[in-house]
Amino acid sequence: MTSTLARVIQFPARNGGGFASGAVASTSAVIRRFTEDPRGHVDDWGRDAGMFRVWSALSELRWDVSTGGEHHLPRNKGALIVVNGNSFTPTRVFSAFAISRTIDRPVRFVGRPDGTALGAFAQSLGGLLDDPEEVAGALRAGELVVCSAKPTSRPRDVGVVDHSLVGVAITTKTPVLPAATTSSPFSRHARVEIGPPTKQRHRRRGPLAELELADDVRAEIHLLLDELGDIATGTPLDWFPLGGMGGA
Amino acid sequence: MSGVGGELGTLVASLLEDESWVGSLSGIDADPPRRRLQRTAFHRIHPDDHDRIVETVTEFNPHVLVHVGVWEPNARAAPKVAAALTDQAATSVIGAAAECRALESVVVRSGIEIYGRGPGALTRPDEENQLRPTSDWGHTVYEIERTARRVGDRVGVTVGAVRLAPVVGPHVPSPLGRLLRLPAVPFDALTNPPFAVVEDRDAARAIVAAARVQLSQPVNVAASGAETVLHAARRGRRIPVPLVGPQWWFAKQVANLMGAPIPDHVAELLTRGRLADNGAMPELLGITAETTTSDVIDRLYHWPSVIRQPARVQVA
Repeated sequence: MTSTLARVIQFPARNGGGFASGAVASTSAVIRRFTEDPRGHVDDWGRDAGMFRVWSALSELRWDVSTGGEHHLPRNKGALIVVNGNSFTPTRVFSAFAISRTIDRPVRFVGRPDGTALGAFAQSLGGLLDDPEEVAGALRAGELVVCSAKPTSRPRDVGVVDHSLVGVAITTKTPVLPAATTSSPFSRHARVEIGPPTKQRHRRRGPLAELELADDVRAEIHLLLDELGDIATGTPLDWFPLGGMGGA
Repeated sequence: MSGVGGELGTLVASLLEDESWVGSLSGIDADPPRRRLQRTAFHRIHPDDHDRIVETVTEFNPHVLVHVGVWEPNARAAPKVAAALTDQAATSVIGAAAECRALESVVVRSGIEIYGRGPGALTRPDEENQLRPTSDWGHTVYEIERTARRVGDRVGVTVGAVRLAPVVGPHVPSPLGRLLRLPAVPFDALTNPPFAVVEDRDAARAIVAAARVQLSQPVNVAASGAETVLHAARRGRRIPVPLVGPQWWFAKQVANLMGAPIPDHVAELLTRGRLADNGAMPELLGITAETTTSDVIDRLYHWPSVIRQPARVQVA
């Protein structure tokens, strides 16, 4: 009995090299996963498989992202995934990377700059312009697109969701999925939790549909964030209530 | 059909000859066809000879007009000459066709340069996106489409525009193709943007399909996938030359001296990229491009160069 328990319960052994070895292990796993992409392959939207492979591996050095709820994503069709934005973390970028690694399929993110070297770099990683027509084209082409709500400085807050982007999902008849992201400035651990597609509560013929759906998506991201629990930094900061002292 | 003397035009004509719905075929161009055509009656007429064009077209009285008579800058003619020839051909051929009572449909060759690559331009514009051409060639194809649309509205016939990605083929005169085949290929070091092309055969199939279905709207025709100049140069084992800003001016002069002038639409492609959404092709034309952009680029480097064989007997 004792030996069985000893096999089941495994306490992680912490040592000085744990951080580095974890990063190296996850990076090598990413490299293994993406080596099937042909070298120098650029897809219809300008995403460079080789470039993505390198930068995705580098991002794993910073964020060790675990992804949940990927079974909600359509297998071959397009979808708009809306994540909560953070002023200090490129949540849409690491979410797109993490989801792409998990489902082994290109995932685009909205919000690359145009006409600069940075914009071209972001395009090679799967970036799209923050333009509803651009997003509509990608959704029509059956792509998975990650966009973020308006960034906030508080990790538990969800900013306003751009209703024009949600609107193109309605017009292209693609599902809109909320996704909650958590990350910490002090550790590598990050989480992307994808929720089920948000349904329209009422059938609307006009632009009210996109406004309502954007609000619903925002509420569902909030709910997902609550389900993920409080942020854990691994420091004494966790002892203090982030929502303020003295109750609600 | 206009532009039957060009490489693409000849290919389109030869495919049209195999179509069962084509009764008789008549072609006009300033140059003779590049290969033997069995059923096509060819008329060698210069684009500025409006009277002969009108006389020939009205006498033939076509049901379908396929206008391929366009000159890409620095492909077969210098930019100014190309623009003038294209304008003359569009005006006289489409204008003459408008006088024909039997006319039902007009199909014009256009290009994805029509969308432009200005600030905020979409990565992969589709047919419904705004047209904001930013190059001479883009403006030229915009004018062709506008002329055809005006004529179509006036005489009540359908007008379809086949917006081709840069056409590359073994014999197609293409400024982009020539540039990529240089021993050293310049690319933008900061952006190295992606672009799509289409093989000449796929382009010809698309034009024939547009004529067959009497296309009544624009359609983007591009091979799937994309390439960057850096990747293309590596595939062709060329020396990639990274350039930034003012260095492009020198690169253009050197490329010009080496026989591969860089017109503004190709310069735009090199610095801003050029893609287009080809998702409407199957629905509107019933076909897809058979060759991917990567394969077209690979083939570009496998096509043999010009082999000059000296005369066996020197007579002079």
